[in-house]
Amino acid sequence: MTELLTISGLSISARLADCDLRLLDDVDLAVRRGQIVGVVGESGSGKTTLARSVVGLLEKNVRVDGGSISLAGEQVVAPGVDLTAGVRGGQVGMVFQDASRSLNPLMKVRAHLAEVLHRHVPGIDKDEVRRRSVEVLEQMRITDTARVLDSYPHQLSGGLRQRVAIGLAVVTRPSLVIADECTTALDVTTQTKVVELFRTLVDELGIGLLFVTHDLMLASDLCDEIAVMSSGRVVEQGTALHVLESPEQDYTRRLLAAIPAWN
Amino acid sequence: MKATTLRRIGARVATLLASLLIALTMAFALGRLSGDPTATILGPMALPEQREALRHQLGLDQPLLVQYFDYLKGVFTGDLGDSLQFYQSNTTMILDRLPFTLQLVAAGMSLAILIGIPLGVLAATREGTWWDRGASTLALLGQSVPVFWLGMMLVVLFAVKLGWLPAGQSGSLKHLILPAVTMALYPMAHIARLTRASMSDALREPFIDSARARGISTTRVVWRHGFKNAMMPILTIIVLQTGVLMSGAVAIEYVYSWPGLGQLALQSIQFRDFPLVQAIVVFAAVIFVLLNLVVDLLHSVVDPRVR
Repeated sequence: MTELLTISGLSISARLADCDLRLLDDVDLAVRRGQIVGVVGESGSGKTTLARSVVGLLEKNVRVDGGSISLAGEQVVAPGVDLTAGVRGGQVGMVFQDASRSLNPLMKVRAHLAEVLHRHVPGIDKDEVRRRSVEVLEQMRITDTARVLDSYPHQLSGGLRQRVAIGLAVVTRPSLVIADECTTALDVTTQTKVVELFRTLVDELGIGLLFVTHDLMLASDLCDEIAVMSSGRVVEQGTALHVLESPEQDYTRRLLAAIPAWN
Repeated sequence: MKATTLRRIGARVATLLASLLIALTMAFALGRLSGDPTATILGPMALPEQREALRHQLGLDQPLLVQYFDYLKGVFTGDLGDSLQFYQSNTTMILDRLPFTLQLVAAGMSLAILIGIPLGVLAATREGTWWDRGASTLALLGQSVPVFWLGMMLVVLFAVKLGWLPAGQSGSLKHLILPAVTMALYPMAHIARLTRASMSDALREPFIDSARARGISTTRVVWRHGFKNAMMPILTIIVLQTGVLMSGAVAIEYVYSWPGLGQLALQSIQFRDFPLVQAIVVFAAVIFVLLNLVVDLLHSVVDPRVR
């Protein structure tokens, strides 16, 4: 399989008033088509910075010190290089943590979808916008598409909103989707459904998925490979089974030990 | 429209009518507290009989409660009494002056909006830069300069020294420029500061990042996603400021001899023309109540969550 996303030796730091703070330190990561790669770590481990660096959504005081990010073989991020504007929303779709806040409260679902389609599909007409909007919602396993299209975000349930947010990320048929803690705000049942949805989407559309979460168990359920991050470094990387069954790093063992046991 | 929307608007109208009634009552009470107007009208040499006759003619010999209900009846039928100094219907005089004030307020507010909003957006999108500091200083200055002083300085510069524009009175577009600029300064500064604050909050919302992540252009992210969400407090202040200017442009109209409502108010106070003062206060109260209703309706047009 071809490499879709290649992150190699990526180092990123934030310039603060009195010092530089290393956010990512020599991170290597790859995602292939049809593959789900989980990035797991506690708050502040750098996993969100990693996710956002791929689409160029870093704060103004953050800069790339070394390494690079390539998409399908083309370099998009390197020190002094930022070509992310060209891939944002087109080649790369992103799903954020809390869909109740990541959708514009004053825009209907229909308008959200139309906006992103008009931006990325040159010359698309009204009928095609409508057709693809309905199609993507159906892909999201939404049955009453007409009602959802005509709803404002606040009129939808949390699970439905997150499905719409995922739909918005994939409606432009990207090759890579990045999900940043996108199940955290959902209850466990809805979470399971969203995770299942991701699995089918990856299998059906052949996209690559970078799934960022703090939930190691959830990641091991969903992901083919897992990278465990701590203090801006990838401390352990391998197949989900390998990371879970025979962790080589003390940090991973402690993460696993932190999961409450049932018996 | 949904039933809940109608009920919400109904409740608002009821509250506004209640505040209108309170304002009307206060206007009435203030008119009675300012002393016996017959002394001012007839002068110190008037005989007690003459004053008594005038008191009867003005209805001031009636019990207070009767006067109050007569007054309320008048207000709701559009009759605001007659002026003591002009011997004319107050309603007619207010309506005669209204176009001048409206012209001035429309020009001043348009200027304030056209400069204030872009200035605030500029400051918010370039937070922490010199653009931001420059815009904020300008706004602070605009809010601290007294209008009467600014008005006189503009007259000295543009009318007296340079002779480009007339110093006062109304008539042509040229006459409108100086008073409109003077009037625009304070609301412009207010709008700019509020826009900056509201915009910089809106631009920190997660949906801004997610719109950017979808590749939406910066202009569209700023205006369609940011500004539209920041707009409500700005709209509110624009509408309410319009109310303030309509009833309170006294200093500006005085400096420029602009024949609007502000001048009329000043004349009525100087002459202790209490029916006219009262009529202007009532008019202003009605304007405010109506504008508040406009704000409410706008709110539900802009934001689907309050519909």
